[in-house]
Amino acid sequence: MRYPNLFSPFTLNKLTLRNRIVSTAHAEVYAEQGGLPGERYIRYYEEKAKGGLGLAICGGSSPVSIDSPQGWWKSVNLSTDKIIEPLSNLAEAMHRHGAKIMIQATHMGRRSAYYGEHWPHLVTPSGVREPVHRGNAKTIEAEEIRRIIKDFALAAKRVQAAGMDGIEISAAHQHLIDQFWSPRSNFRTDEFGGSLANRMRFGVEVLTAVREAVGADFCVGMRMCGDEFHEDGLDHETLKEIAQYMSETGLIDFISVVGSGADTHNTIANCMPPMALPPEPFVHLAAGIKSVIKIPLMHAQSIRDATQAERILENCWVDLVGMTRAHLADPHLVTKIRDGREDEIKQCVGANYCIDRQYLGQDVLCIQNAATSREATMPHIIVKTTGKKRKVVVIGAGPAGLEAARVSAERGHDVVLFERNMSVGGQVNLASKVPQREQMAGIIRWFDMETKRLGIDRRFGVAADSAMILAEKPDIVVLATGGSSHMHQVPAWGVAEGLAVSSWDILSERVAPGKNVLIYDSMSTHAGFGTADFIASRGNNVELVTPDVKVADDVGGTTFPIFYRRLYALGIIPTPNYWLDRVYAEGDKKIAVIRNEYTEELEERAVDQVVIENGTTPNDELYWALKEQSANHGQTDINTLFASEAQPALSMPLKEGEFLLYRVGDCISMHNIHGAIYDALRLCKDF
Amino acid sequence: MMNYSITALFWLATATLLLGLWKRTKLWRAGQPAEFAWLNLLAIPKRYFVDLHHVVAREPFIARTHVATAGGAVAALGLVAINYGLMLYCAALNWAILAATAIMLIGVFFVWLRRRNAPARLSRGAWSRLPYSLAAFALGLLIVNLPVTVLSAGVAVFALLLLLVGSAELALGIGLGGPMKHAIAGLLHLAFHPRQERFSGKLSTALMTLDLTNQEYGINKPSDFKWNQLLGFDACVQCGKCEAACPAFAAGQPLNPKKLIQDLVLGLSNDEKSGKTDANFAGSPYPGLPIGEHSGSMHAPIVPSLIEAETLWSCTTCRACVQECPMLIEHVDAIVGLRRNLTLTQGAAPGKAPQTLENLRQTATVGGYDRNARYHWAVDLDVKTIQPNMPVDLLLVAGEGAFDMRYQRTLRALVKLLKAAKMDFAVMGALERDTGDTARRLGDEATFQSLAKQNIDTFNSLTFKRIVTADPHVMHSLKNEYPALGGNYEVLHHTTLLAQLASSGQLKLGKSAETRKLTYHDPCYLGRYNGETDAPRDLLKAIGLQVNEMERSGLRGRCCGGGGGAPLTDIPGKQRIPDIRIQDARNIGAELVAVGCPQCTSMLEGVVRNRPDVLDIAELVASVMEHAS
Repeated sequence: MRYPNLFSPFTLNKLTLRNRIVSTAHAEVYAEQGGLPGERYIRYYEEKAKGGLGLAICGGSSPVSIDSPQGWWKSVNLSTDKIIEPLSNLAEAMHRHGAKIMIQATHMGRRSAYYGEHWPHLVTPSGVREPVHRGNAKTIEAEEIRRIIKDFALAAKRVQAAGMDGIEISAAHQHLIDQFWSPRSNFRTDEFGGSLANRMRFGVEVLTAVREAVGADFCVGMRMCGDEFHEDGLDHETLKEIAQYMSETGLIDFISVVGSGADTHNTIANCMPPMALPPEPFVHLAAGIKSVIKIPLMHAQSIRDATQAERILENCWVDLVGMTRAHLADPHLVTKIRDGREDEIKQCVGANYCIDRQYLGQDVLCIQNAATSREATMPHIIVKTTGKKRKVVVIGAGPAGLEAARVSAERGHDVVLFERNMSVGGQVNLASKVPQREQMAGIIRWFDMETKRLGIDRRFGVAADSAMILAEKPDIVVLATGGSSHMHQVPAWGVAEGLAVSSWDILSERVAPGKNVLIYDSMSTHAGFGTADFIASRGNNVELVTPDVKVADDVGGTTFPIFYRRLYALGIIPTPNYWLDRVYAEGDKKIAVIRNEYTEELEERAVDQVVIENGTTPNDELYWALKEQSANHGQTDINTLFASEAQPALSMPLKEGEFLLYRVGDCISMHNIHGAIYDALRLCKDF
Repeated sequence: MMNYSITALFWLATATLLLGLWKRTKLWRAGQPAEFAWLNLLAIPKRYFVDLHHVVAREPFIARTHVATAGGAVAALGLVAINYGLMLYCAALNWAILAATAIMLIGVFFVWLRRRNAPARLSRGAWSRLPYSLAAFALGLLIVNLPVTVLSAGVAVFALLLLLVGSAELALGIGLGGPMKHAIAGLLHLAFHPRQERFSGKLSTALMTLDLTNQEYGINKPSDFKWNQLLGFDACVQCGKCEAACPAFAAGQPLNPKKLIQDLVLGLSNDEKSGKTDANFAGSPYPGLPIGEHSGSMHAPIVPSLIEAETLWSCTTCRACVQECPMLIEHVDAIVGLRRNLTLTQGAAPGKAPQTLENLRQTATVGGYDRNARYHWAVDLDVKTIQPNMPVDLLLVAGEGAFDMRYQRTLRALVKLLKAAKMDFAVMGALERDTGDTARRLGDEATFQSLAKQNIDTFNSLTFKRIVTADPHVMHSLKNEYPALGGNYEVLHHTTLLAQLASSGQLKLGKSAETRKLTYHDPCYLGRYNGETDAPRDLLKAIGLQVNEMERSGLRGRCCGGGGGAPLTDIPGKQRIPDIRIQDARNIGAELVAVGCPQCTSMLEGVVRNRPDVLDIAELVASVMEHAS
């Protein structure tokens, strides 16, 4: 029996889960106006239910009160009766596929933006500001406490009325309940502050009210932190005490544990551990708490693999495994594990594109799966075409080309994939050279295996030209030729003269790093900092210059802290707010002339090497060579593309020798990995 | 003068034959008592011309050859008995004898032809002289009956000598164990066959139940067989059809059913000192085991001096040998009888078998699982679990496969189809114990009977009309072997039920979108053990799929290697049986093998890729439902 633990059913209160795999609560940023789940929201979860998971807990941080704003990040709003109908639609959809569904309920306290909706004055036990969200807040009063407790009970009743299977009360990530618990945020001297019993009072009263509202048979859980990782915060032992106390109240049916506080930029990065952290970094905290409680325990955080999950269960560290980002990457994860198709699982690599978007208030998307949360228009399972079988020739095996080839092959077409290099991956191969970002290669590993499994004719080491492409007698040509390092934008950088090299030169190890290096990063994405890290990790001195407001400005809330930990550890000098004007040689030194964005003052740096990261410029030679010969003149109809419909040219009758020409990804203009994959999926799904 | 000589020779030969038969009968009677009725002798002609001929006729060349040779011989002997035995010496009968011997001679010519280019499965040795000795008999008899008044003395003596040689072959066979033994023993075997049901058009595949309270522990020595089993071994003609059909032999495991039967024939000897060695065996040996090192006698233990234990543990109990045997010999009964003694008296089953038997005794599951986990796969399918006082039409018994995530796919598909057909069904939940099938094949009759009795008690406490299972081994136990222990149920294989539902319109099926070239592998326990070869094919046809037949299909299907506990005893060979079966599929270019058995599924899927995909028929049919909905 494979995975005897993972697939053994589990009972929470009166609820039977079909297996131990849970998608734990996360903020989706999909709710519609007024914080109501709509079609997108429901289909996103329904896909996971179809995919076989046991339980999903939706609506991470869904507020129960109107002074906990949800509008700015499109969260679910539990403070209104209007929520009942959409939640019942959600519950019905999940139950149809045998999965259970709960929702997280919370009051965020200071952990929000006061300008989010009604411009409320945020409340917190002692009026201490939360730095991450710039959450200025007032000290909460007893009357407000009573109101919010009542709001929790009302919200729970709504959840129950909707036919949901349970509710999870959040006391994690420094929401209002654990703002009361934590000595960092609670300096009260009344019955809600001081002793641990007093600090727990608010939470206990919330849970008491919720239990009273829903009765004994409805599943109620609590999510909490296993260690805040702050000197002045809640440590593991205190949190064990809290967990034990809460479990013994008999008010809750399970506890879900996460590691790390989340009220500073640096601790946030731990909560959804990015690829730089080891697998399951905080399972010991969960296991510690499990050792003192008598109710089931749930834990998520970098559990991405079936055998890993099985091992964690087998060791009795936890009772239910959260595989939440794993489900974003592949909502059919559980079915694939169950049916012995583990090799077909698109495995989460911890790139954190999802959560980094969420912290900007953008909808959560997966870096490697463009169908996630687009279930209404983008298929996770691509069905064979009932139309004509076509010959599809794809040029370039980066993410865009791989997705184009994969989707076309799944549609049943005859696919040839040309790649100039000797392996698949394109620019992702460079991205995975960066220290602590090796797992980026996992994105490509899946495409590599899938394109092999699908029997695609992959031709490596072939720089296809138009004659070679036409010799294939293609019906459709998809160009995914990517981009090249954009080095010639400013001639004064002296690239032609050999005064500066590119980040690609360094990461591909074509050029060895110098001793004293100035990196000019005009993009502030992962590539620039990654190159700095690559050079500094090899014992060299690096100054990272950027015109942006800070270095690595465009890498997201859970990734830049990892970079900054390394920046300070390696002694990389951050120099934001400077442009690179020119580079000239003086003796064996290169002199970089940089100009302050705000003062226009010029400065010079004498270094051994100037490295430039300036994004990419499209590789479009093939496009111009083929454009006029193609039946559609290389045009992608954006109206149908954006409407997720088939390209009109696909229904055009083609004469002998005629073909359609499309482009996807960076060979049009620079996007990111998700953009490249989305380009290919939305185009090729209708081939 | 000539006439009197022939009369004398006839009576001499008859007396010799009867003496030989008496001697041989004494050996058979050393076996254990079995039902006996003289009246059975009357059944021989029908059994010979219908039941036996049905098998022989699968190879028309040899069937016709045998009709001519044996028919000619029997006719000639009958006529000789009348004309010479009764001393009528009627010239007209001579003409008839002439005709009969001429026909026999033609038959013998074809015997000779075949022997010139004999397939490897045929034994040589004494059997190689048969065309000559039979020709001598026919020719001698022909000459002495020629319508000439005077034969030259030389010719007459020559003819009588020929006749003497030929008669010796016929008359001495039964007494001395020559090739012609088969004629007498074969006919008597038809009369007193241990499985009389075989002749009433029914399948008889259930193993005999041991009376454990009477200390029946299987076969230790030849005299432990029933006397009619011993008689059956003597019927063997060493044609090697069993050898050619045996999957273990093909895989190079140390089993050859023909040699096994011949070894048991060697055991028909009262020479207790040295016993008879197998040195004279002139056929294919057990792969990997040399000839000439084994011997046995009536009251000496068979294992290991006559037959090695690994020979017995190589058998998959697929019954291909029994299916092919023109003499209707029951090889599997002999093998399981021998296994029973090893397991029950010595606990000497090899490999993972002892652990498995321990699991069955302790947990009532093959794998040692928690019985409560058997239906975990159904927890989200809204399937009823049967309880006492909860009547259902149909009880789904999943078997051991329910613990296997692969087979759970089949079960989920089956549940989906039963729901689509609006069947009133339930599963057994934690009440289900293993049927004991594996224990029984491994010789552990005690564990089988204990499990069977517990299951029967459980079934008796429940109310249902029929049982359905996707596991032919479960089906065989419940349907064919439980009746002897008092459990009588209507048991259906899932393909049988689904085919019924589809043809009655209760299950509405569309057409499959499957485009891969498909073949169907007959599970031995569904085909040969239960005679069901049509329903799976009908279902596949109903969803618009064409079945491309492999070499060896239907009742003659080749085993996957998964039966009889063989995957547990795991006797090494040169290759694995499932590899051979998948090669059959590859040979016809199949990309998809449809199956109807969890053992077959896991054995065939165990073959390394690239190989055709393997899907249960329930999965294929359920996928049509997905398209329809």
